[in-house]
Amino acid sequence: MSNWDVLLQQVINGVSLGAMYALLALGFTMVYGIIELINFAHFNVFMVGSFLAMWALEAMGFAGQSHVLYGLPLAGILVAAFMVAMLGSGILGVAIERFALRPLRGVPGTAPMITTIGMSYILYNIILLSAGADSKNFSNPMPNTAWNFGGVTLHLREVLLWAVSLLLMVALNYFVRRTKMGKAMQAMAQDQEAARMVGVDVDRVVIITFFLGSALAGAAGLIFGLYYNYTSYLIGYTAGLRAFTAAVLGGIGNIPGAMLGGVLIGLIESLGGQYIAVRWTDVIIFSLLVLVLVFRPTGLLGRVTPTKS
Amino acid sequence: MSDSQVKPAQEVASQPLGRSQSFISAIRHRAKSEQFRPYLLVVILMAALAFPYLDGNEGDIDAAANALAYAMLALGLNIVVGFAGLLDLGYAAFFAIGAYTYGALASYQIQPEWSSFWEPFQWLGLVKHLEAGGGIGTVHFDVSFWLMLPIAALVAAFFGVLFGAPTLRLKGDYLAIVTLGFGEIVPIMARNTPTITNGAQGLNGVATPKLFGYSFGVMSTPYYYLGLALVVLLIFISARLKHSRIGRAWLAIREDEIAAEAMGVDRVKLKLLAFAIGAGFAGLTGTFYVAKLQTASPEMFMFPVSVMILVMIVLGGIGSVAGVVVGALILQLLQSWFLQDLTQWIHALGDLTDIVFLQKLDLVQSIELIFGIILVVMMLYRRQGLIPERAAVTALTYDQQNAMPSRSSVEAGLAPLHRRTIDPGKPLLDIKGLAKSFGGIKAVNGIDLSVMPGSIVAIIGPNGSGKTTFFNLITGLTEPDGGQVLLAGENITGLKPHRIVEKGIARTFQNLRLFPKMTLLENALVGAHTRTSTGAVGAVLRLPRVKREEVAARARAVEVLGIFGNRLMPRIEHLAFSLSYANRRRLEIVRALVSEPVLLLLDEPTAGMNPTETLELTDQIRHLRERGVTIVLIEHKLDVVNEIADKVVVLDHGEKIAEGTPEQVHSNKEVLRAYLGRATEAVATIAAAS
Repeated sequence: MSNWDVLLQQVINGVSLGAMYALLALGFTMVYGIIELINFAHFNVFMVGSFLAMWALEAMGFAGQSHVLYGLPLAGILVAAFMVAMLGSGILGVAIERFALRPLRGVPGTAPMITTIGMSYILYNIILLSAGADSKNFSNPMPNTAWNFGGVTLHLREVLLWAVSLLLMVALNYFVRRTKMGKAMQAMAQDQEAARMVGVDVDRVVIITFFLGSALAGAAGLIFGLYYNYTSYLIGYTAGLRAFTAAVLGGIGNIPGAMLGGVLIGLIESLGGQYIAVRWTDVIIFSLLVLVLVFRPTGLLGRVTPTKS
Repeated sequence: MSDSQVKPAQEVASQPLGRSQSFISAIRHRAKSEQFRPYLLVVILMAALAFPYLDGNEGDIDAAANALAYAMLALGLNIVVGFAGLLDLGYAAFFAIGAYTYGALASYQIQPEWSSFWEPFQWLGLVKHLEAGGGIGTVHFDVSFWLMLPIAALVAAFFGVLFGAPTLRLKGDYLAIVTLGFGEIVPIMARNTPTITNGAQGLNGVATPKLFGYSFGVMSTPYYYLGLALVVLLIFISARLKHSRIGRAWLAIREDEIAAEAMGVDRVKLKLLAFAIGAGFAGLTGTFYVAKLQTASPEMFMFPVSVMILVMIVLGGIGSVAGVVVGALILQLLQSWFLQDLTQWIHALGDLTDIVFLQKLDLVQSIELIFGIILVVMMLYRRQGLIPERAAVTALTYDQQNAMPSRSSVEAGLAPLHRRTIDPGKPLLDIKGLAKSFGGIKAVNGIDLSVMPGSIVAIIGPNGSGKTTFFNLITGLTEPDGGQVLLAGENITGLKPHRIVEKGIARTFQNLRLFPKMTLLENALVGAHTRTSTGAVGAVLRLPRVKREEVAARARAVEVLGIFGNRLMPRIEHLAFSLSYANRRRLEIVRALVSEPVLLLLDEPTAGMNPTETLELTDQIRHLRERGVTIVLIEHKLDVVNEIADKVVVLDHGEKIAEGTPEQVHSNKEVLRAYLGRATEAVATIAAAS
């Protein structure tokens, strides 16, 4: 492989990772956008989503990577797996909001954030205790089809994952920009009180936001499994932190920003791993987070957050 | 709270202020015996000292020594999270830094080649010359544990400043995520730099402390006593800090950052201080802990450790010194003493009842799950923790609540409200062309204003005319785009808010920004921040100078609170959130006055007050002027303005449209147009005629 091939290959890997981080970052950014809360539970909603997807695939009779499907059956199975992961995570996110966060809405200080840490920890340990500490072989019905362009390999699964991520992001963008509920969300992001006064049902908007964000995290959880062929109770922590960095990098509260930030973080991870060293990846990413916060706290595309009076 | 603190408050309600000396001395006395009841403390300490002899089990003593280490960590995190309100999720990083600082300099890990460079260090006893099988030999670091305790604390504090500085300027939320990142990076660094830390295997053979030739060795008892001494020291430091100028400034930042800044607190500096002291506690603990274990590995300092310390302070009571120690001891001792037994009991219960779930439940394995549940449950149902930061205050009696408002005359026998001498011939405040735009809107568009010393200037104008922005520009809360603000000839444009308070401008807020979970007295004392100088070290040592300063500040705060007579005095130990709306306005004025302003900016001081209260306050504002405070106020109630203003300035759409005596302004056509619309010629004529 020539140097250029290596670079191109890592760009492909980076974009794949980035698509996943972007989906995860959207959940952070949407929640922060409307209630100005860093939702640490999101880390492990993603992880639970990955397990839900794996269990769903296992329930449909898949085990390991040997049972491969093509064409429509593959599409059907994937749609079903995405549905389970997204619905399950979405409901989990809503439940967390409803029972742990809503009673604390409007409480000043660190209490809501501490609660999300507690929820995150609960999810993490429930999975650890029920599924065990070993990493799980993720059932993957996708074929290993790949194309070679010179020294560069492009897998079918990568193309599929890009397509799914793109589809979800376009759908979300449409929802936020064009639908009534999406506009209510935007209104709340700007000024919660004013939105309430013109008749926006704040609780409903918050619930929908948690549902959408968590559902996207569930999708990201499935994508993680399909991409790496494994899942584990540990994945939420690292991926969550990287995705949060992506959200800040793009501009917290800013939906296109989260997508851009996600892809950038994915690229940094893959290129940094190639050209520096994998063991320094996290150090590079957090240093980047600090640099962004110091020099451009509004992120690349500007931040959109509620005005607090 | 004991009765002795409340009784004087009851007395004062029925007494004129001048004779309430007993009350003031009670307030002074309170500075000394805060929170801890001495006899209880002695009993606990005796029990703790006797514990190793009473128990005698090496395992129990070891667990207790570890629990003490975690109590030290909880005390440190409490300064950051509890006092200053900054959520630090990577606190274990500082623990690690302290641990590795000592570990690396008290083990055989780093062995550079010997050279003459090391000779002075050898002479000082910091290194040893190892001569192994010929050659020049190597250096063996052998720095004393006792020396490393403060050094490791300082190193950790330094890293605290380093990590905190970039992000403490930002809103608190980001700090949580950045500290989470640092908490992640530090163990990675430790793993990736094996030359210093021996990587994932961890440091081995860390030297144990020696005291007067006695080596601590591997038995737990000496560590237990050392840990106990350190916990007592850190409790002492925490308690002293909390009830000092520094501690009040931290609480003020935690309660309302903007108001704290507007009252003279340098928030970046104080947040850094909290971060550094918190990190220092962790560095100290790291040294202790590593010396006890004689090893240090990256796994000892990962995220779960940070969470565990957080759970300890949440359980015990965020901000409560006694609470966090109890929280740490409960959780640690629960894990090492009871969880095993408890699990066996549950299994027995499961066998008895044939419930499979109970038979399989392993609480030792589930400890992190329990931590998560504790966090959520405490936040939802008992945010103040097991031992709340503040004990309940005795309610006012019926008589006190329904007492006739009395107030001592403002001028009676009080010290001057500020100590500056002002040239009466020159304008005190001189503003030229002050401007600020938000987006395309010119909120304040080139306003000039000159305020003579000893005058009362009222700013009126329709809502949205830029009055509050104008105040924000003067007090530095908003950075002006252009123009100049001169205070007694000195250019103060664009200074930070806390610097402007120092210069002598204090303000109140239209939408009330008190520190709700601080007492009235503490609220007032935050106002004294810029007029006092006690630092962290001074607060801990409490030398005579510091004591004098504290007593004087308290006496002054009480005097100023007395301006409003029995409106505020009986409630002086109450938390500010319990006040009525009008009393909150009064307390804001008190807080501003305690900062000894030459110029007082009042933003709608009578809003929400009934006519009687409004009259009372109008009168009091006039008295303040008589005592040398110049006043600029924003006011909607025109009868108030007519009554007290020497000069009225009218703003509309960010511009000054009129200026003059109340009478001149009332007949001004521009003003009438701004308030009533265009077709007001007739109204103007009538106004002129009347």
